[in-house]
Amino acid sequence: MPKIIETEGLTTNFYTYEGVVRALDRIALTVDTGSTFGLVGESGCGKSVTVRSMMRIIQAPGQIDSGKIVFFPTDEARNEGIDLLQQSEAFMERLRGEQISMIFQEPNAALNPIMSIGDQVAESFFFHRSREMSQRILERLEKNGYPGGALLKPLYRLGAADPDHWGLRLLRRIPLLRRWEGLLKKEALKRAEEMIGQLGIPNPEEIVRRYPHNLSGGMKQRIVIGIALACHPMLLIADEATSNLDVTIQAQILDLLLQLKKTTIASILLITHDLGVVAETCDRVGVMYAGQLCETADVEELFTNPRHPYTKALLNAVPRLSQEGPLTSIEGNVPNLVKPPSGCRFHPRCAHAKEACRHSFPAMEEAAPGHQVACYLWTDRSRNGAENQKLSPDS
Amino acid sequence: MPTYILRRFFFLIFVLFGVSVLLFGILMTFSPERRAAAYVTTPQQAKDIPKIIKKFGLDDPFYIQYVRWIKEVSRGNMGWSLVASRPVGEAFWRYFPITLEMNLYAAPIVIILGIWLGTVSGIHRDTWLDHSTRIFAIIGWSLPTFLFALVLLMVFYGYFQWFSPGVLSDQLTMFIIDNPEQFTRYTGLLTVDGILNGRLDVALDAFHHLVLPILTYVIVVVALNMRVMRSGIIEELSKDYVMTAMAKGADKRTIHYKHARRNALLPVVTVAGQLVAMSMEGSIAVEVVYNRHGIGWWLAESATQLDMPVLMCICLFMGLVFVATNLTLDILYAYIDPRIRLN
Amino acid sequence: MKKETHPRLRELRYTLYRIFRNPSAIIGFSLLFIFLAVAIFAPAIAPPKYAHNPYMMPHKGFSPTPKPPSETNIFGTTSGQYDIFYGVVWGTRTAFKIGLFVVTIAGFVGISLGAIAGYYGGVVDEVLMRITDIMWAIPTLVLAMAIVVAFGRGLDKVMIALALVQWRWYVRVIRSEILTLRDQDFVHASKIMGVSDFKIILRHILPNAIYPVLIMASMDMGSMVITASFMSFVGLGAPKGFADWGQMVALARNYIVGPADDPLRFWYTIVIPGCCIILFVLSWNLIGDALRDAFDPKLRRR
Repeated sequence: MPKIIETEGLTTNFYTYEGVVRALDRIALTVDTGSTFGLVGESGCGKSVTVRSMMRIIQAPGQIDSGKIVFFPTDEARNEGIDLLQQSEAFMERLRGEQISMIFQEPNAALNPIMSIGDQVAESFFFHRSREMSQRILERLEKNGYPGGALLKPLYRLGAADPDHWGLRLLRRIPLLRRWEGLLKKEALKRAEEMIGQLGIPNPEEIVRRYPHNLSGGMKQRIVIGIALACHPMLLIADEATSNLDVTIQAQILDLLLQLKKTTIASILLITHDLGVVAETCDRVGVMYAGQLCETADVEELFTNPRHPYTKALLNAVPRLSQEGPLTSIEGNVPNLVKPPSGCRFHPRCAHAKEACRHSFPAMEEAAPGHQVACYLWTDRSRNGAENQKLSPDS
Repeated sequence: MPTYILRRFFFLIFVLFGVSVLLFGILMTFSPERRAAAYVTTPQQAKDIPKIIKKFGLDDPFYIQYVRWIKEVSRGNMGWSLVASRPVGEAFWRYFPITLEMNLYAAPIVIILGIWLGTVSGIHRDTWLDHSTRIFAIIGWSLPTFLFALVLLMVFYGYFQWFSPGVLSDQLTMFIIDNPEQFTRYTGLLTVDGILNGRLDVALDAFHHLVLPILTYVIVVVALNMRVMRSGIIEELSKDYVMTAMAKGADKRTIHYKHARRNALLPVVTVAGQLVAMSMEGSIAVEVVYNRHGIGWWLAESATQLDMPVLMCICLFMGLVFVATNLTLDILYAYIDPRIRLN
Repeated sequence: MKKETHPRLRELRYTLYRIFRNPSAIIGFSLLFIFLAVAIFAPAIAPPKYAHNPYMMPHKGFSPTPKPPSETNIFGTTSGQYDIFYGVVWGTRTAFKIGLFVVTIAGFVGISLGAIAGYYGGVVDEVLMRITDIMWAIPTLVLAMAIVVAFGRGLDKVMIALALVQWRWYVRVIRSEILTLRDQDFVHASKIMGVSDFKIILRHILPNAIYPVLIMASMDMGSMVITASFMSFVGLGAPKGFADWGQMVALARNYIVGPADDPLRFWYTIVIPGCCIILFVLSWNLIGDALRDAFDPKLRRR
């Protein structure tokens, strides 16, 4: 399947007063076009840092220290892709919101409280569809008469060709002369209204004029999704987008996402700590622990045949109705990432740890078609020719 | 929003009332004899203190005297100022424009400079720019206004002789006094009057005398404004909706100015009330040192001479300023923050 | 098994570490230490001439012209022949007295009232807050001057006046902190267990709410000295010849500018006491700033 984005050896560190937090250690994951990839792990394991590194919105004191993030925007570029780490900030600004979008965990905080809903959704159109909208307006101006049209036409002609022209930017800064953008704003608001309507929110004309504090949590999250999808990005990254919502709303939002995936978005990268959500919505899963990627597989394969000890322990820890007695948990504590354990970071808590585990982090190996594990247990077995042996879930 | 404004308005009227009671209470700590002394304008009256006490009812119960006082004040009669040798009400209008002039020119500078420096230092946090502005702010905050004014006077007047204290140079002051028909006081603001009278030299001279006072004042007051703006910006930039804006593909400019700064202005509006109070205190020091006869100077001189009526008048004025400022700020706040506006 | 340090001790140590990592704190505390030493050892450094009232500065004669630094007067003399060095040394004691008096009283009154208002809420809160709101209407300096004029001149009256005016800040700060803390679960838990209100406030709420107050108190140590010195400067505070920095600047007022050929001749009359004031206030401001950075939960453990 064609890939849409892929990371190789992504390493991100945070240079804080307390020391260097080694948040990500050579993460290598691949998201295929048209699929939903779930990234799971405990709180603090680096899932958010991974996707924020991918969009390059890591802020100081964080820094992406090495690796490649290869993005494949078109079919032709399939083999080469664009290394996002090499691109300029201006390129990234154009990319964000238009080709890759992100939604966050806390809908209450994600919206600016002093801007109206319509304005916030329209902003996406402003950033990325300015040219198109100017063109549309220009055509309308030429067709109908419009008071002051003569003055506005050249401005919009310029806008259709080059929205970032220095002349237009200057006009934008001067308070009284800013009015020329009025038509543009109206157009953007109209599109925003349409977008909000598509999200299943009733009365979009009303909502457009409201403010975030007038809406419920679920509706706010829908708006956030609307903002993200306004320009039909190819990849949507959802960073714990449902973790702060109650279960019924969560179900609605997930349904909405799946529905939108059929129509507008091509691929979704979903971050969550909830294995249930993963089981329901994802095609492929990646498991992270303490900044390292342990295992990736198709959803069914992972749940039936987990290979990595951490994945196994995680699945074991999910309480079942039929269970009796104390709940199973994983021994030990999540490590401090300023001085992480050497090699495989899970080795202090792993029942099967070996000398090699302490030395170095094992490379990802293909345990079964489409199922990669980074564990010496597996590399050993594969070396001993044990590919055909099926491991039971609790071996 | 109208109910909100109305509520604030009534509250502030209550505050004004409370202030008047408070001030009157302070006034009452004087014994009747001392208060009688305020009514003495000629030496022979001094012998008749008991008669004055009787005449003005200075030993009547509190509330009776309070009502009487309020009635007098509302009629404009606030006593006699020793320093000005004229009724307090009249003296007030002579001195007020001088203070107003300086504050009028200094206030926009303080606000704009404070917001600008605060924004810049908040955005470029922990760089040398931030650190140097912080040092500047701390030093500004630690400087006693009067001392700084003295030092500036020492250097720029004594040593360099570029500027001099006072409001206008001696010759021009003499000219205005000697030729009242050639120079009418329209507003009392010398810079404005100078232009209105067609005497540009007066206006320019007034400006020349404004430089040092404004410099002193700005450096001390900007510090506060800047700090509030800075912490506001830092707080805003860490907010989630800024991240959302980044994820939308917003450029740094939009994020810093449209999203972060507008929200950060709210606490600045809140602190603006404090700024007005600070500006009054700053004016006092500046006027005393630079010998500018404005309200602050009048206050200090009257205080030295234990002239109570003047202090009462100025305090009442301060109360009024407080009320007016708060009302304006509340309206401003409601305008900026839709959560208040639409509630 | 390793004995774990008490969490409060650990937190304290961490806080101290955070405070002292900040260069402002180091400079601030060093300056403060110097001032403290001067204040404590004042009798030894500058032996008082009038045993019954060490705060009266010695003066040889009454000549108004200040004399420059010399062997007998290390920092020179100011108008009226008062020894500047003596004034500076004993003025340190005065400054500490002013700061401590005002901050303690204003703090105590403000914290008590603010705690009661914040904790109990309702009518009590409304009444107390309305009263404080009235106090806010007039700036500190103006109100303090009014009170001093009513009560009479003198440094002690100045200190009382300032204390009467400053408590309003502490009320506001404590009240807002308590309002946030009051609804927290640990307070509810204590109430359910039957702990008396007074104990809850004292042992649970105040230790958490005290941080902004500490910051404000340290800033106030400085700003109160500034206000008091201004009042002395205009003649409302310390009497002539009293060892107070503001008073010394007042003495120098006529000598800002010297004769035409040597305008800066009497620089020491203003600069030396002035520097003392500035450095004293600066030290407290630096300390307050460092405290603010150390206590800010958003900046901790970055």
